[in-house]
Amino acid sequence: MNDITCKTKITPKKIVGIDLGSREVKIIVTEEKKIVLRKKISTVSFYRDYCQYQNKIIVDLKKLGIEDVDLAVSTGYGRNNTDLSMFKPINEIKAHVYGALAQSGKKDFILLDIGGQDVKIVKIEKGLATDLDLNDKCAASCGRYLENMANVLEVPLDSLSNYSKDPVKLNSTCAVFSESELIGKIAEGIPLDRLAAGINYSMYSRLRPLLTKFRGNTLVVSGGVAKNRSIVEYLKSDYTEVEVLEDPQFNGAIGCCYYGEKFI
Amino acid sequence: MKKIGLTTTVPIEVLLAAGYTPIDLNNIFVVSKDYGKYIEKAERDGFPKSMCAWIKGIYGACIENGIEEVLGVTEGDCSNTKTLLEIFKKNNIKIHSFGYPHSHSLDDIKNELDKLMKYMGVSYEEVESQRDRLNLIREKAKYIDALTLEGKATGFENHILQLCFSDFDGDVERYSNFLDEKIEEINKRPIDKKGLKLGYLGIPPMQGDLHDYVEVLDGRFIYNEVQREFAFPRAMESKDIYEQYYNYTYTYDIDFRLEDIKKQIKERKLDAVIHYTQAFCHRAVEDIILKQELNIPILTIEGDKSNVLDARTKLRIEAFLDMLKDKKQRDYAKNRLEIINE
Ligand code: SF4
Repeated sequence: MNDITCKTKITPKKIVGIDLGSREVKIIVTEEKKIVLRKKISTVSFYRDYCQYQNKIIVDLKKLGIEDVDLAVSTGYGRNNTDLSMFKPINEIKAHVYGALAQSGKKDFILLDIGGQDVKIVKIEKGLATDLDLNDKCAASCGRYLENMANVLEVPLDSLSNYSKDPVKLNSTCAVFSESELIGKIAEGIPLDRLAAGINYSMYSRLRPLLTKFRGNTLVVSGGVAKNRSIVEYLKSDYTEVEVLEDPQFNGAIGCCYYGEKFI
Repeated sequence: MKKIGLTTTVPIEVLLAAGYTPIDLNNIFVVSKDYGKYIEKAERDGFPKSMCAWIKGIYGACIENGIEEVLGVTEGDCSNTKTLLEIFKKNNIKIHSFGYPHSHSLDDIKNELDKLMKYMGVSYEEVESQRDRLNLIREKAKYIDALTLEGKATGFENHILQLCFSDFDGDVERYSNFLDEKIEEINKRPIDKKGLKLGYLGIPPMQGDLHDYVEVLDGRFIYNEVQREFAFPRAMESKDIYEQYYNYTYTYDIDFRLEDIKKQIKERKLDAVIHYTQAFCHRAVEDIILKQELNIPILTIEGDKSNVLDARTKLRIEAFLDMLKDKKQRDYAKNRLEIINE
């Protein structure tokens, strides 16, 4: 290997990072360390419309509007999903940690990633993951819960997230039972703002037991639910500093690019 | 020869001079197939659930193995040992105590040792002659440690062979011969240098599979802090028994311990350390200081009753080592690029 290729390999120009989520696929392209493309596609459509299968999954990057990449890195929910041809697969936790390191510029924090179907909490010390917990068996503390409850209330997810005051008490610990409990509260004539706040608060209170094992001063929040302003407000009472990443949903994909940039 | 149970590493030279066969209760507990039963025995006898498994295991192992005499360390090691000795006494076990004085002054240490010698009815000369004999064997531990650095002995061998120096596995001569055989066997192996150089800090782990598990993940413990101390690597340079036990690190203040840890991290060029803490042990608090003082990635893991790693701890070790490998690779690439650019 001569010097030139060695250098270009160490700092590649164009990197594509793909995070294969359980419900959405997130794609980031970076050029010279800057994000030049963000793309979100439903997981079903990604596999159906942009992939072919020949022993391995082959992604049609051209069709996605991405060309001439130097490096491709993927991560995703469950290892098998990440095994795309020509892509370097990396562990999901690692991808999210690298995303958060790149986006926050911090080296010591607790990362809370709340996705559509799972929650990850990772403690990061000196830039390395030192503790973690995953909750992928219960829907009551992840994005799907909020979506379902917003549907029951017939309000858009985004406006649901505005309500935090005087939450109505929802006792059920189960996502399915919560729906009927909520309908009961609607029937009692409780106003919408209190119902919406109740949903946000119940989600927060289910995250709390997971978080108590991860005490610290700084919390960094990523994943779709990071967009919920009320939950973030509630979290602020438990940490000195709560930072919501700028691109919370793309954090895993950004982490893939960061990995490609730094380590390949 | 009369058996005497130990709760941790003690001045074994004195006991040998007095004609005892010292048995480290920790070792009979942790390597036993019955290790769980020993803990259970302690709990059935009233030891609280919220107490460290080592103390309960030591208790169970002592009672169930019919040990009639125990030397416990009441200062510098475990704060629970004092009460443990009282319970032993109630069980008609003869008890003796020894303290590593918190002051860490040579005078105080001399005082403690003299007290023990007098109590055991042995002379300074007798003790020193035992020391000379043991020091020759302690050199073998140093050699095994060097073989680990070289990439021949595994992290587990390094751990277990040094660990057994607390009681020379119950028979000094036999253990010495065993070490000779081991050294010969290890020496014949090819050098195997794994990717990540790790250090192990803290008391020996409850889980016997930790050392091998990191090897699966391309890591290797090339430094076992406390186990190495059990083998007294500086014994040969110490001018007498007093100095030897003065130079022992782990039972004195943390700053003294840290001095040597820092030196080893540097000399062995470690990439990271794993700090082991025991559930319900006061020593877990030392983790705060280690993290503040050591400028190296640290992963803290905790053990409780189980003698194998649980799934979550495995996942944590995996994620940590995975990222560490990335870091090491990057640092290496960076250095190379700098060389190219020069
Ligand atoms: S682990 Fe801690 S509490 Fe348990 S015996 Fe050792 S020093 Fe005592």
